[in-house]
Amino acid sequence: MARYDIAIIGTGPAGVSAAITSVIRNKSVLLLGSADLSAKLKKAHEIRNYPGFAAVSGETLGAAFAEHLSSMGIEITEDKITSVYAMGDYFALQASSGLMYEAAAVILATGVIAGKPLEGEEELLGRGVSYCATCDAPLYRGKEVTVIGYSPKEEKEAAFLSEVTAKVTYIPMYKEEPQLPGSVVIVKDRAMGIGIQDGRRVVKTAGEPIVTDGVFVLRESVSAGQLVPGLATDGTHVLVDLQMKTNIEGCFACGDIAGRPYQYVKAAGQGNVAALSAVDYLDAKKRN
Amino acid sequence: MVRKISQEEFKDVLASKVALVDFSAVWCGPCKMVAPVIEALSDELDGQVDFFNVDVDDCPEIAAEYAIMSIPALILFKDGKSVDMKVGFRPQAELAAWIKGELN
Ligand SMILES: Cc1cc2nc3c(=O)[nH]c(=O)nc-3n(C[C@H](O)[C@H](O)[C@H](O)COP(=O)(O)OP(=O)(O)OC[C@H]3O[C@@H](n4cnc5c(N)ncnc54)[C@H](O)[C@@H]3O)c2cc1C
Repeated sequence: MARYDIAIIGTGPAGVSAAITSVIRNKSVLLLGSADLSAKLKKAHEIRNYPGFAAVSGETLGAAFAEHLSSMGIEITEDKITSVYAMGDYFALQASSGLMYEAAAVILATGVIAGKPLEGEEELLGRGVSYCATCDAPLYRGKEVTVIGYSPKEEKEAAFLSEVTAKVTYIPMYKEEPQLPGSVVIVKDRAMGIGIQDGRRVVKTAGEPIVTDGVFVLRESVSAGQLVPGLATDGTHVLVDLQMKTNIEGCFACGDIAGRPYQYVKAAGQGNVAALSAVDYLDAKKRN
Repeated sequence: MVRKISQEEFKDVLASKVALVDFSAVWCGPCKMVAPVIEALSDELDGQVDFFNVDVDDCPEIAAEYAIMSIPALILFKDGKSVDMKVGFRPQAELAAWIKGELN
């Protein structure tokens, strides 16, 4: 497998900026995220504090970012990373597609997720709660699982689980009508929390609780601490120094995930710093 | 070096002064990822800690005895008693600091 110099997770202003600087510094880059770049960029009606643009819509600024990337031949790999493993002298990135990517350095530019984890979710993670259907499905062969899906994109994972497990219950946390195989039981209720009952797991809802063997919580993004095992965070943000270094050697963070204020130009600026720090890290490693 | 052991050989863990046991399974992704990290750690702590690997599917009784609910589970044993546990993938530096802290 090709091992990239730098893997950048996220295609908001932080990730885009980090990718541009990394490529200018002649590093091979894997830029992971979405062809739409960032929902937070798309949503802004008028941005008045991005130098070079007196007043610009998020849509227009995003198009300029996309143009900048393509003019440099930087492609976006549309895949969601579920785990980043610090292997010592490289990082292994598990993606929800089932693919595993490798890079010598990693830049986290994932933005922050709105909303708190469900009650019991973090306590039970790895003990009957999972974030990755493709990874953990074999654990639940012949068992009953419940999927809490936060977007229609997660229906694919639920369909996959229904092929492996005895029963899948799906709780859509959105308004659209789920499109799922007939064997999947759809419960239109709000998941409120996860607990333990007689050695099994139970999903608390506004209505009847659902007793199950395993719970898959599938969101667009997971928190940074869950994404990178061993990463030091304050709960919401990754702890970084002024060089955007995290506590894990070779792992850097920038943009909203690295702390407030939440601003485009700050995200882009930190992306630049993170890229330069990653370049320094790689160059120092090569010398040793 | 990490020694893969069977249910019968688990007594070697209990007889060891300090041992780290990696409870894992062949189908578990994070287990596969942490295995080379543990291997490197066993070189780093060679002579101070004995390293073992237990496949939970081959050793269900031991897995039940130590209440393994999620893997990889890394349990540190001192004089045959489990003293601390870490669940999930962990980087080598974190594991080394953890074990060295327990050694003193
Ligand atoms: C409505 C609105 C208006 C705003 N107006 C302004 C303004 O006028 N001026 C200003 O400065 N700021 C404004 N902001 C704030 C600004 O949007 C953020 O500070 C900025 O987008 C942060 O950039 P980022 O690159 O850190 O993260 P984001 O823009 O959030 O991008 C993160 C990217 O990472 C991807 N990602 C996350 N996790 C993964 C994963 N595991 N695998 C792969 N990809 C992943 C996401 O899909 C996304 O593409 C506004 C925000 C909103 C919502």
